[in-house]
Amino acid sequence: MEGIEIAMLGVALAVGLAGSGSAIGIGIVGQSACGLISEDPDKFGQTLLLQALPGTQGIYGLLVGFLIMQDIGIVGEELVELTVWQGYAFLMAALPIAIAGFSSGIYQGRVLASSINLIAKRPEEMGKGIVYAVMVETYAVFALLATILMLFGIDL
Amino acid sequence: MLIDDTIYGYAVARVKAMETHLLDQGQFERMINSSTTEEALKVLSETGYSAAVAELDDVHNFETILADELSYIFNIVLKISPIPELIGMLALRYDIHNLKVLFKAKFLGVKSDLFIPAGSMDLSKLENAVSEDNFLLLPEKLRRAANAINEDFMINRDPQIIDLILDRVLYDQLIDAAREHNAPFLEGLFVRQIDLTNLKTLIRVKRMGLSRDFLARVLLPNGTLAVDRLAAMIEEPLESLISMLAISDYADLVGEGVREWSEKGSASTLEKLSDDYITTYLKEGKWVPFGVEPLVGYLWAKEIEIKNIRIVLVGKINRLPAESIRERIRDAYI
Repeated sequence: MEGIEIAMLGVALAVGLAGSGSAIGIGIVGQSACGLISEDPDKFGQTLLLQALPGTQGIYGLLVGFLIMQDIGIVGEELVELTVWQGYAFLMAALPIAIAGFSSGIYQGRVLASSINLIAKRPEEMGKGIVYAVMVETYAVFALLATILMLFGIDL
Repeated sequence: MLIDDTIYGYAVARVKAMETHLLDQGQFERMINSSTTEEALKVLSETGYSAAVAELDDVHNFETILADELSYIFNIVLKISPIPELIGMLALRYDIHNLKVLFKAKFLGVKSDLFIPAGSMDLSKLENAVSEDNFLLLPEKLRRAANAINEDFMINRDPQIIDLILDRVLYDQLIDAAREHNAPFLEGLFVRQIDLTNLKTLIRVKRMGLSRDFLARVLLPNGTLAVDRLAAMIEEPLESLISMLAISDYADLVGEGVREWSEKGSASTLEKLSDDYITTYLKEGKWVPFGVEPLVGYLWAKEIEIKNIRIVLVGKINRLPAESIRERIRDAYI
């Protein structure tokens, strides 16, 4: 493998895994939301907001994917010649958001499904349900931070 | 697997939304404090029962409302449950209830309409089977139980055997089903119900003055209280039952319920405390986000609500004082 291919694997993992985490998380919340809406359609707006929250991990993953693609010239004028070691550096940098994005997306979805149960009984407490989900979000943000710091540290 | 249990998301959220429609303490208070049955029904007509109450022609027929509501709710929960077998096994309780009613009606010659049309078996099929003594259409275990009841009644002419035999089939099958589907929460529920049934059987048999052998035969297996220890209690005064269970979960319930029973001869306090005990157990699973627990809890909550409505309406029809209605009202699940 050349360096460029290894870096592309990093792009694929960041976008693919973090996106999967979001997709699963949103899917979990969606199931719960349907259960609530079938009894109480007026809460559609609230449930939609809750359902959107696990989407951020996918966005972080895509952001990282774009940053790497820009660095290595996939989007842009021309491909950058990468050594194998530079390729590995991009792959490693992509891993934090890939891993934490996947797991935090799923667990955030689980918390939010419980928040759906919460607003089924106490719609006025939706804010607290969101706060619990944001606690999970913290670790996706930390992973994104680590990934970006690592990317900036790569010398081309 | 990591995400497997999320198949319960839809059902649990829906049940949580349905829980908000359960009657609350305030509504029951208003029903209890109303001066007439009609007034109590008026409170009911402001709730989810409004359509059914509007169609009610005679107050004394309120049982049909309650039975319809229970089977309506049961069928919804069964339909939305991602593993229908776990809820489906609970339908056996209604089949057994209906069989009890049918047998009692047959042996005692009274007509009854206290059926719960939520069982797994067609009610008219059950009716025919009992009236014609032909149980071929019933599942094997029920068939054997029904035949046993018929044979025993021919010899002993004692209708109490109906409950004893049918309860045994019921709980044997429920425990088997819970183990087969690996449902520890349901098994825990059944084990507790077995214990409570055994305690009531013990006191009942003791008051009837029957033998220890008889008691040992009718106590249900699979409970946490050993059958032989319970059977030995028949030769002791009731107070020693209280001290035997003093360190068990059943201490409060037995202490208060049994004392009331031996003093006043009324089982109603023990019945109420037993129901409250099950409610407390089911509340432990109330906030499980993905699992069968909230579904079972909601079904129980509905049964308790229906029981409470019945207590209030029967009390109002019989002009009982508010206080004696209030002390029979079961604790709410919500």
